[in-house]
Amino acid sequence: MIKTGSNFIHVGQIHVDTKPILISTVLGSCIAVCLYDKRLCIGGMNHYLLPFWNGNGLQSLKFGNISIPKLIESMIDKGATCNTLEAKIFGGASINFSSCQTMMVGEKNILVAREILNDYKIKIVAEDVGGNNGRKIQFNLEQGKVLLKYTAKSNFGDM
Amino acid sequence: MQNLYKIEILENEVEFLSKKILELNKKLIDSQRAKTLFLSLVANKLNDPMTAVLGMLPHLKIQDGNENIFSTICQEASDLDFKIQNLITVAEIESGNIDNSHALIDIKEIIDEAVKSLKYIIKEKSIKLNIKNSVEKKIVTDPKKIYIIIKNLLSNACMHCPQNGIVDIILSIDDSILTLLIKNESSEPRLKEIPKIFTRFSEKIDSRHGLGIGLSIVRELCESLGGSVEYDIDNNFVTFKVKLPLDEAMQDFQACGSNEFLFDSFDDAIEL
Repeated sequence: MIKTGSNFIHVGQIHVDTKPILISTVLGSCIAVCLYDKRLCIGGMNHYLLPFWNGNGLQSLKFGNISIPKLIESMIDKGATCNTLEAKIFGGASINFSSCQTMMVGEKNILVAREILNDYKIKIVAEDVGGNNGRKIQFNLEQGKVLLKYTAKSNFGDM
Repeated sequence: MQNLYKIEILENEVEFLSKKILELNKKLIDSQRAKTLFLSLVANKLNDPMTAVLGMLPHLKIQDGNENIFSTICQEASDLDFKIQNLITVAEIESGNIDNSHALIDIKEIIDEAVKSLKYIIKEKSIKLNIKNSVEKKIVTDPKKIYIIIKNLLSNACMHCPQNGIVDIILSIDDSILTLLIKNESSEPRLKEIPKIFTRFSEKIDSRHGLGIGLSIVRELCESLGGSVEYDIDNNFVTFKVKLPLDEAMQDFQACGSNEFLFDSFDDAIEL
């Protein structure tokens, strides 16, 4: 049975909606930025894999610096303003220590989220980032609360 | 102590480089945004007259001897519409408006629709089309996306299939994964194209076919549904293999996927 009112998002996706919707995802080194406008009960979540679009090929929502502005724009289109938006960020784990590059991806993803939100003057009111564990999160647009669970340390390197 | 110092240096380096890259990327994003807007405008401007043409074509009175001309016009209009729909899909992907929607569908109907839309090229090349479908029940997925995926792969198979060649469509479900194989005979399998076959607007080796966006759309849509697409060549047969999970994206936490963590409860979760 499909549960109406719940949405699972994958890498490279954005979902913006109003209460009473739930949005969930699973993260490894990826980041999910959850934005919420208490006034309108509008919320949105993205899920990005890498910090920067490198200019090769087409821009994609898999990149933080594409995905986060797009998420903010989508929220603004729904009537939110940067002044009334609050952010929560999750993910950015160092999942795979076999390569230095992989280890740094999570860190870079976190940095990009903070930088861009700061550029837009959107306050980060909660975060659970870094570490070595994957996370599953569920964003409830009724109150803007996020429920979080950790995975056992496993290979979520592609999430 | 030394390690801590190294970590601090690395962190500072990452922060510095990230800021630099962000600055450069802002410029790139602006130009990309302008291109996306242009693409979207062009796609929509082309779509409106095309819809009118396709709507009126069936009402034309065909005179004796003009059947072939009419058939060619229909074929070209259908092909042009397909290209426009792909442009629109690319514009949607680039704009981020590719949310998943779900419906209970009969996959056979989707296949039939895709085959019907390509009937002209199938007839023109006398392609022998074999459909092996072991999916008996209806499935829940995104009907629009799966149609675009199937049509692009089938169109690609027909385009590269020789005259009187064979195209196989094989569908199955195993462990809540829908597997779709589209296999076509190919007189000249293009091994050297494998690395960039899914790259949009890649430098085309064979410029006779398409716009270079169909397979990139397939990959993007498969990934947006939580699935994947692979490409393989064996004994002059080219096979595209699509795998799509049928539970994970739509049944939220109650589906029976391979990763139980995805679907357990949030009873003991942390609230932030």
